Amino acid sequence: MSPAEKIEIKQRSETAPEPVIDSLATIRDMVSACIQCGTCTGSCPNAFAMDLTPRQLWYNVLMGEKETIFHSKTFSLCSVCYCCTLRCPRGLPLTETMSALKQIAAKENLAPYKKSIQFYKSFMESVRRHGRVREMEFMTLYFLSMKNPFMLLKFAPLGMKLMGKGKVSFEFPSKGNGALESIFRKVEELEQR
Amino acid sequence: MYKRQLVVGAGISGIRAALDLAEFGYGVTLVDRSPHIGGVLSQLDYQFPTDRCGMCKMLPMVNRDASSQYCLRKGLFHENIEIRLSTELVSVEGEPGNFQVSLRGQPNLVDPARCIGCGECVKVCPVEVPDSFNAGLSGRKAVYLPVPHAIPNAYIIDTNACSRCGECEAICPTGAIKLLEEVRKNFRILVVDDELIMRDSLKAWLEDEGFAVDIAASGPEAMNHLSKQAYELMLADIKMPGMDGVELLQKAKEIFPDLSVVMMTAYATVETAVEAMKIGAMDYLLKPFDPDTLIPMIIRIYQDLEASKESPMEVGALVLCAGTSYFDPSGGNNTYGYGIYPNVVTSLEFERILSGTGPNKGRLVRLSDNKPLRKVAWLQCVGSRDIQIDADYCSSICCMHAIKEALVAKERAGGALETAIFYMDMRTFGKSFQRYRDQAEIEHSVRFEKGRVHSILHDENSGDLIIRHVDYSGACIEEIFDMVVLSVGQRPALGTTALAELVEMPLNQWGFGQTEPFSPTRINKEGIVLGGSFSGLKDISESVIQASAAALSASRVIHAAGGSLSPEITPADSFPDISQEPPKVMIAVCTCGDLLLKLLDTEQLIRCLKTDPAVDQVAFLEQTCTVTGWENLFELVEKHKPNRILIGSCLPYVFTQKIKELGQRVGLNPVLIEVVDLMLMAQSSKLKAETPSADEISKINSELLAVLGTGLARLKWADPNPVPSEKILQQALVVGGGIAGMFSALAIADHGFQVDLIEKEEILGGNLNWLQRTLEGHPTKTLLEETVIRVEKHPLINVHTHSQVLSSYGQVGRFYSTIENNEKGAVTLEHGVTILATGGAEADTTSYNYGSSEAIVTQKELERKIHDDTIDPNRLGSIVMIQCVDSRQEPRNYCSRICCTTALKHALNIKEKNPEINVYILYRDLMTYGFTESYYTQARKAGVIFIQYDLAEKPQVTPMDGSVRVTAVEPIIGQKIRIDADLVVLATGIVPKLPRDLAESFGATLDPDGFFEEAESKWRPVDSLKEGIFACGLAHSPRNITESIATAEAAAQRALRILSYERIPAGKVVAEVRHSLCNLCERCIEACPYGARVVDPDLEKVLVNAAMCQGCGSCATVCPNSASTLAGFLDQQMFEVIDSALEGTYS
Repeated sequence: MSPAEKIEIKQRSETAPEPVIDSLATIRDMVSACIQCGTCTGSCPNAFAMDLTPRQLWYNVLMGEKETIFHSKTFSLCSVCYCCTLRCPRGLPLTETMSALKQIAAKENLAPYKKSIQFYKSFMESVRRHGRVREMEFMTLYFLSMKNPFMLLKFAPLGMKLMGKGKVSFEFPSKGNGALESIFRKVEELEQR
Repeated sequence: MYKRQLVVGAGISGIRAALDLAEFGYGVTLVDRSPHIGGVLSQLDYQFPTDRCGMCKMLPMVNRDASSQYCLRKGLFHENIEIRLSTELVSVEGEPGNFQVSLRGQPNLVDPARCIGCGECVKVCPVEVPDSFNAGLSGRKAVYLPVPHAIPNAYIIDTNACSRCGECEAICPTGAIKLLEEVRKNFRILVVDDELIMRDSLKAWLEDEGFAVDIAASGPEAMNHLSKQAYELMLADIKMPGMDGVELLQKAKEIFPDLSVVMMTAYATVETAVEAMKIGAMDYLLKPFDPDTLIPMIIRIYQDLEASKESPMEVGALVLCAGTSYFDPSGGNNTYGYGIYPNVVTSLEFERILSGTGPNKGRLVRLSDNKPLRKVAWLQCVGSRDIQIDADYCSSICCMHAIKEALVAKERAGGALETAIFYMDMRTFGKSFQRYRDQAEIEHSVRFEKGRVHSILHDENSGDLIIRHVDYSGACIEEIFDMVVLSVGQRPALGTTALAELVEMPLNQWGFGQTEPFSPTRINKEGIVLGGSFSGLKDISESVIQASAAALSASRVIHAAGGSLSPEITPADSFPDISQEPPKVMIAVCTCGDLLLKLLDTEQLIRCLKTDPAVDQVAFLEQTCTVTGWENLFELVEKHKPNRILIGSCLPYVFTQKIKELGQRVGLNPVLIEVVDLMLMAQSSKLKAETPSADEISKINSELLAVLGTGLARLKWADPNPVPSEKILQQALVVGGGIAGMFSALAIADHGFQVDLIEKEEILGGNLNWLQRTLEGHPTKTLLEETVIRVEKHPLINVHTHSQVLSSYGQVGRFYSTIENNEKGAVTLEHGVTILATGGAEADTTSYNYGSSEAIVTQKELERKIHDDTIDPNRLGSIVMIQCVDSRQEPRNYCSRICCTTALKHALNIKEKNPEINVYILYRDLMTYGFTESYYTQARKAGVIFIQYDLAEKPQVTPMDGSVRVTAVEPIIGQKIRIDADLVVLATGIVPKLPRDLAESFGATLDPDGFFEEAESKWRPVDSLKEGIFACGLAHSPRNITESIATAEAAAQRALRILSYERIPAGKVVAEVRHSLCNLCERCIEACPYGARVVDPDLEKVLVNAAMCQGCGSCATVCPNSASTLAGFLDQQMFEVIDSALEGTYS
């Protein structure tokens, strides 16, 4: 986005929400006391890779710019280091806000985040089955969910290297013994509420 | 009936309040916990906008001989002020006008009357601790000078650090040091414990502290001791076989109810200890304990008991000026590494680094490695505006403090210093602050970086500091600095909670003193008032204003309680007329023990001095500074009856009061007694050499001769005529009937003086007639109604509505002002002082297409329209507020201080009525100083959108059909945005309504923006340079209602100080005119900075108003005929003084 571009501030009610998201209001409340001092951006170790800096992201949250927010990679790049939360002079729960945005993206299954959503899901599926991640199974699940055979080829050299160093376990995918099943179900139940 | 007033805290506001009350005629006791006056200001050498000090400008200007007239940082003396340092308030009883207070003073182990400041004690003291005066950057001994420049400068002993080795006591040449053992020996302590080891160690610890200790192994044994001898304190173990501690306590208390008892207990019996306290124990100690816990507690009990022996003091009112302290950045997250990285310092520490009396003697180098400073950064809002550490407030002073430090540092470095200030909002909200900032940025290239720095990295090898921050584009910038200064915010002063509990006053949520709505000084407790930053976060001028207002409130309390105001008239001391006698001078030389005698040829000195026929006697006295020495002098004077006395001693300043007393005792006008400083010479010469050579002796002799000769020359010409005085018409004129004018009129009238209050409009009230409520939600209507009723019903206030002042002339004591009434025509009023309270108004504007659409209004119009429902927030979709309209840019380059808070007030109000509405505030720097910061947070939380704009790219406002289109650049996202608003509100700021010609006819001057120009913006903030003219309210500067009332009360206080005299005495040193030599060239009139001179056209003479003259001598230097002279500095006299001084140099 170049600075010359114009964006228009419309009345919030008029904004046709592209993904149907009502929960932006709660997210807005989380950061409403932001004074845009930039401490978060300065603190963020991943800011160099983000298209919007955290400060810009919060500004867009305050302005209700859903479209900009949910086309940005910023929150999906948050590595949950809590530096910004620690240093924010307003004491805002910034890391949690990042997570909340991730959750919306996951819940709505928004296209720009497909990769990272599937990545998370595959990871957690493996954990659900075995109580820990099994690298082989995790990768299989991920590549299957992406439905892109070329992707597998792209990652093949890296996979070989890791295997050579014994970083990848060789168990074949299985249903596991379901020991964590009840915990996951409980969480789902809670989240439904 | 006369009542003393008690001022707690001797920082600048305490000094101001004490001086105000003292000049008024009250007796004042000024106490401070620390061993010096001046508070934190004693550590700050430079204040903006002058970047110098100027504290002395607070000293009295009229009747100035009642006070010391030297540097206020060095010390203060006023005949009505008793200063008690190292002293705390311990109890307050009674009612307004009639309080009984007790004070607890730290025992002074060095007798200040005997200490000659030789510093021998420091050389032998083995204890080294961080020096608090230099903010811990350097070290000091346990015996030390609290401030290096005080006069008289007696050493004191830090009792907490002192090891009581006794070295200093042994070496002190004047025997000034007494480590108190003798006194403490009278304090007998009985230790009762069944364990031998406990008894013995307690005895040893306490005896080390100098107490007399007896021990007992059981209850009955203790009772036996008690019956034989009186004890002040008993330490009793609870768990003992047979009679336990509680039983012992009961029995002991029955027989000796005055005995103080402290219980000792293991954790298991702590409840018993609490029970014991219910039946009379004083306190308890948890076992096991070490001497560090025990000793301070025992000493405190000892001091309390000693203090309680003193009878409580009767005071009329209490002024609490207890100040604030600084945030300590070493706690919490400490992402700046304060205390870890050596070159991260606080703003106070940097102030000491700049200071000539600081750890570096003012050299701009790093303390850690002596590297010269070339690049320094300031980080703002450290400990302020931070909700994470419960500081949702702005500390108000740090922005200007940082700019000042940057400028002083740049000047000190001769331009070879790069400075950067990292800030969130640069809060330049005070008078002249914005121009100061602009100057710093443009002329001195101080860099202002908007952005908060999150952390500092440290380069271990070089000691340099690495700062990473982001700019608006989001780019990460890394910079290396030699030093980083943390602009630390303010916190309540240590002991604030205890003080608040003591006087039962409320504190606000952050622990600062809470005043009543609309009052800058009053709290919920009548008779106790707050001054200075004790009620939170003020710079010097606001503190001084508030201190004067506090003095006024205190005086009102006494006045209301029936105390009289007019000072006791001391009959002019009548001394025998010696004007016809030839001078008969007695010279008394203090030999400082036998020190001087060893080094002098006294015979030769006497011979030389006696060559002047005026010299009658030359006497050598031992230690005139002691009582005995002074009595010896008195006897000599009685015996020889000289008509002039010259004393050669050290520290002439100290003798002011003593000379007065001596004069009265021997019937000699104090003007005829002079003290010259031999010490200065003594210090610079080889006076202390063990065996001086003949050459050296003759050198010392001639130096001494020169110093005494200068004094002799002054004394021979001394004029014993009484000091002139000016008659005061005890009436005031207040111009302007707004809230400020009404409050100052009431304050003066309540003290029993007549006031004429002039209002241009039909009704009183000024801006309060349209204001509805404050940001805090207090309705202004009630305030207005109550005040108007009080003014109109006051028998001593004449209200002139529909009236204007046409012109005025005159001087302090008598002004003549012509008032024109719309119907009644013109009348001339006479008055002794004038208060200008002409107010201000919202500025007009044509910017932002104002006037072209009904949907573009000002903040004032919005307030009105919301009130009368012509604007209904429920029917609006979005509102845009634009701040700083025509303000903070030339020609109106000042902040109007209230517009940001007004915008917040309206935004919050609108959001409350209609939460769905979109409110956008376009601002430059949000000036929510002090506690109003929390409303900024509230507004953010309520969903108000804040968009910062830059002067270079101001928002554009275009009226459209039914709406207004606003475009602006949003710096965070770096894009232009467009808002279609239903309403645009412009904050145009405040302009004063003080016509320049009117101000000039009163003799007041205006600043470039048309506001009243103060005599000194920090130290004399409501005075005009011309005495007798004061200003308050918006005519003075933009301010909110409470701040306006503060200036009003301060101005009234300053005026009352003059009105309380029927005749106001001038100073000893005033200018005179020898009319026979005067050719009326009027050069002196232009030269006089105080407007004290006028030409009387009828008499054809230049007249000097003695009360206004400050004795600066400007007139005498410009006068071509020597017609203008200065008492005490006549030409002939000065020539003789110079001759004497030169003789000393050449011989």
